[in-house]
Amino acid sequence: MSMLRTTVAGLALAAGVGMAQAAEMGAVDEPIKLAINEWTGQHVSTHVAGEMLKAAGYKVEYVTAGYMNMWQAMADGEVHAAIEVWSSNVSDQFGALEADGKVADLGDLELAAKEGFAYPAHVAKLCPGLPAWEALKACAPVFATAETLPMGRLVDYPADWGTPGADRATGLELPFKAVPAGSEGALIAELRASTEKQSPLLIVFWQPHWAMSAYDVQWVELPQGEAACYEDAAWGPNPNAVNDCDFIPTRIFKTGWSGIADKWPAAHEILSNMTLSVEAQQPMMGAIDVDGKAIEDVVGAWMAENEAAWKPVVDAATQ
Amino acid sequence: MKSTLTGLSPGARAALIALTVGALCLAFGPRIPWLLEWPSSLTVPATDWIGAGLTWFIEGIKPAARVLSAALAYPMGWANVLFVSTPWPLMIGVVMATGWHLGGWSMAALGLAGLSFVLASGYWVESMNTLALVAVSVPLALIAGLAIGILANEVPSMKRAVQVVLDVMQTVPTFAYLTPLLLLFGFGPVVGLIASAIYAAPPMARNVILGLERVEPEIKEAAIMSGGARWQQLFLVEIPTAATQIMVGVNQCLMAALSMVIIAAVIGGFEDIGWEVLLTMRKAQFGQALLAGLVIVVFAIVIDRMSGALATERRRHDRRVTWAILGLTMLVTLVTWSWLPEAGQISLLAPVADGVDAGLSEFTKANGAALDSVKNGAMFYLLLPLRIGLDEAVLPFTWGFQWTANMSLIFFALSLVIGIAFSFSGRLTAGAMVVVFAGMIETGIANLPWPFVLAGAGALGWVAGGRRLAAFAMGALALILLSGLWDRSMLSLYLSGAAVFACAVVGGLLGLSAAVSPMAWRVLRPVCDMLQTIPLFVFLIPVLMFFQIGEFSAFLAICAYAIVPMIRYTRHGLVTTPPELLEAAVASGATPWQIMWEVRAPYAAPTILLGLNQTILYAFAMLVIAALIGTTGLGQSIYLALSEADVGLGIAAGAAMAILALVADRLVQGFAEERRAALGL
Repeated sequence: MSMLRTTVAGLALAAGVGMAQAAEMGAVDEPIKLAINEWTGQHVSTHVAGEMLKAAGYKVEYVTAGYMNMWQAMADGEVHAAIEVWSSNVSDQFGALEADGKVADLGDLELAAKEGFAYPAHVAKLCPGLPAWEALKACAPVFATAETLPMGRLVDYPADWGTPGADRATGLELPFKAVPAGSEGALIAELRASTEKQSPLLIVFWQPHWAMSAYDVQWVELPQGEAACYEDAAWGPNPNAVNDCDFIPTRIFKTGWSGIADKWPAAHEILSNMTLSVEAQQPMMGAIDVDGKAIEDVVGAWMAENEAAWKPVVDAATQ
Repeated sequence: MKSTLTGLSPGARAALIALTVGALCLAFGPRIPWLLEWPSSLTVPATDWIGAGLTWFIEGIKPAARVLSAALAYPMGWANVLFVSTPWPLMIGVVMATGWHLGGWSMAALGLAGLSFVLASGYWVESMNTLALVAVSVPLALIAGLAIGILANEVPSMKRAVQVVLDVMQTVPTFAYLTPLLLLFGFGPVVGLIASAIYAAPPMARNVILGLERVEPEIKEAAIMSGGARWQQLFLVEIPTAATQIMVGVNQCLMAALSMVIIAAVIGGFEDIGWEVLLTMRKAQFGQALLAGLVIVVFAIVIDRMSGALATERRRHDRRVTWAILGLTMLVTLVTWSWLPEAGQISLLAPVADGVDAGLSEFTKANGAALDSVKNGAMFYLLLPLRIGLDEAVLPFTWGFQWTANMSLIFFALSLVIGIAFSFSGRLTAGAMVVVFAGMIETGIANLPWPFVLAGAGALGWVAGGRRLAAFAMGALALILLSGLWDRSMLSLYLSGAAVFACAVVGGLLGLSAAVSPMAWRVLRPVCDMLQTIPLFVFLIPVLMFFQIGEFSAFLAICAYAIVPMIRYTRHGLVTTPPELLEAAVASGATPWQIMWEVRAPYAAPTILLGLNQTILYAFAMLVIAALIGTTGLGQSIYLALSEADVGLGIAAGAAMAILALVADRLVQGFAEERRAALGL
């Protein structure tokens, strides 16, 4: 996709002129626009980044943006950074725009994410061998439904996130048929209904996510994921197939408009160096989604109590 | 063959042709695979071509589009500041004053009640953002609609083309053109604004065309005789004369823009009420999503009633009261502002939302087993056979036995016997139809051989509207075949077909009951109103909780939306039978049921067919939203395209959907036209 090259170049040029005086901080009078996507964890990460930028002396603006549709806007410099991007589920457009040098990878967020086959805790009673994955072979009829008979039903990610569930079910020769969910809401509704009806459910899911604790979601223990598993059919329990193992931990990273480094050099450094752990993010998500507190208050309180976690990054960039 | 065919009615001939093609496909299919499945080597890479062409085109006009987008950002920003920073008591006062001005106390009370609900919901700020979007997109749509309408009126040779463009604007799902719009106009609320203007312009244009057509020739002549340029005649005489009809267009335009709010939110860039619905939907919080959805319903009702008052002749209401309301609220605002809570802080209805949510949980918990058996029954005995046919759907663990080739033979033989029996009693068309349907159920809609679908559509078109319609139906379907989207289209056709069938039966019966009993209508009417205005995303949550991801849930979601026109039109058709006809029937001693079947039903047939037509269009429109549940047809392709910014796939899938909808629409309209002609209407 080769669009807008001239416009971006023009913007970058204009930015270069603007930063002539304060080379360190850059255009402090212009707000840095951070993308607010559709999930709470991302809101937390973004607000932490935003508060760090504010502490450094920048103006910050939070802009709601569809996760899948924001890349063109970022390439155009209308949104400046997205703090929590999951490499397992990122639009192809990002790769194309990154290759064109219009958006940039700003490094790992170091949020240790996990994806895998999961089930609400009560399902262990319906399929006693869990969490060992081998148990699923015999249990498949328990999970069968009208659409999947005689195979078990595996609720997969929405089709536009890829088909990791179907790939693994094939690789591990599990008698399960993957049913793509249409949306994240559909995945949550499945978890909720299963918990309330005490009905069987096997689902592809991820953490950090507020639903992990809300519905007491447990992981199926699949063979440890390794790069070799995805390339070498001989690797893993099934000698004839790839994908016969767990997910490789997803890389979660920060991205930004390629013009940030020139326009706001210190902000670029802060964003590139900031990190956030699951231990920090998950309680904040709970405070917002379960206890119903406002995100500004929750993040504000965390920032005040955990200066050691973020202050050094800001100081290193500004002093 | 030809000589025997000429003696038959067109219906019988069409049915026989479809039957013959189907039988040939069934007989030779196993030996000639391309009969059953269109060879992929013969498809053109339409999605790539469209993608490349559009990208080139977009690159060309992008600078202009960006200028427009930047220009629109100003009014958008102003409207936003205006709506959000106006103190809420003052805003309520303004709406009340407007209500009084348009329709007296009842309208003012409606405004007060509506905005109080919005305030209590806790979504005031988001709602005002939404109103700002509507406030800018509607004038845009009105101007565009007016221009299109005038163009069609002034250049008669353009009229046909304009009608087709309007049809396309309304049938291509908005999600399909979001990607090109994003590339063109950049990011943020302006894209949502333009998308909603595109969707909202056609009703305005249609009403302008209709209004100008209906200006009486005498008035036009008088305008011509008094001299003046054409534009003077148009703007000073004809448009004012058509004002009432044009006001209907304004009303419809407002409603369409409001219903697009949720779609615009998918892009983001704007914290409006649609974004709230999406966030709560993501968390599967039904109560909260319903609350946010009801805010949109409230706006729809207030805007509909108030702009509806514009379209009717109204008596003047005292200006002094208008000013008094405004002055009073201004005063109240000034005096109390320092200690009034901010609108964002108020959320009186949150406990109600939590209660509704808990109620949904309780219901699911209590009725889990019953819900499962409902779903299994519907899947095994209805949806699966329709999709993949009896020969694949009947298995030991669904029906308790295995479908065999012998059973197929017996099944076909039976249908043939019934068909022949029909044709001997003089109803050859019905007989042939029985056999055709038997074949369809045996094979399944998703597995129908393409020559049969083409021949069937062509035959229907021929009966409904002659050679032209037949050619249109076959040509349009052939385009889908060539584009390589055939399989997905057939899945979509199956799902919306099943939903339309169910809606026609259930909706028809509900409409009938509403026509017979005013009590039933009093119950049904608000339900219909709500189903049509609430963002349908809201209902996906309970449907998913009850029946999980899958076709049955999608089927129900489509039905919930598409059944409304069927109910409305059936009732309307049945209750508007001319009294003379009824009196004549009573005088000749007909029983109430005889009157219903022999007099009312035939008279209502064209109206009911129009309802069916609307149901079909609604069902296709809903396919895209149903894809959020997890369906595999064209709707899913459109989402895939949206998330990958694949312009070609999005537009091609959207076009395929529009083609299916348009073919169905033209066929049903053709039948309605024929019925109307037969009734001498």
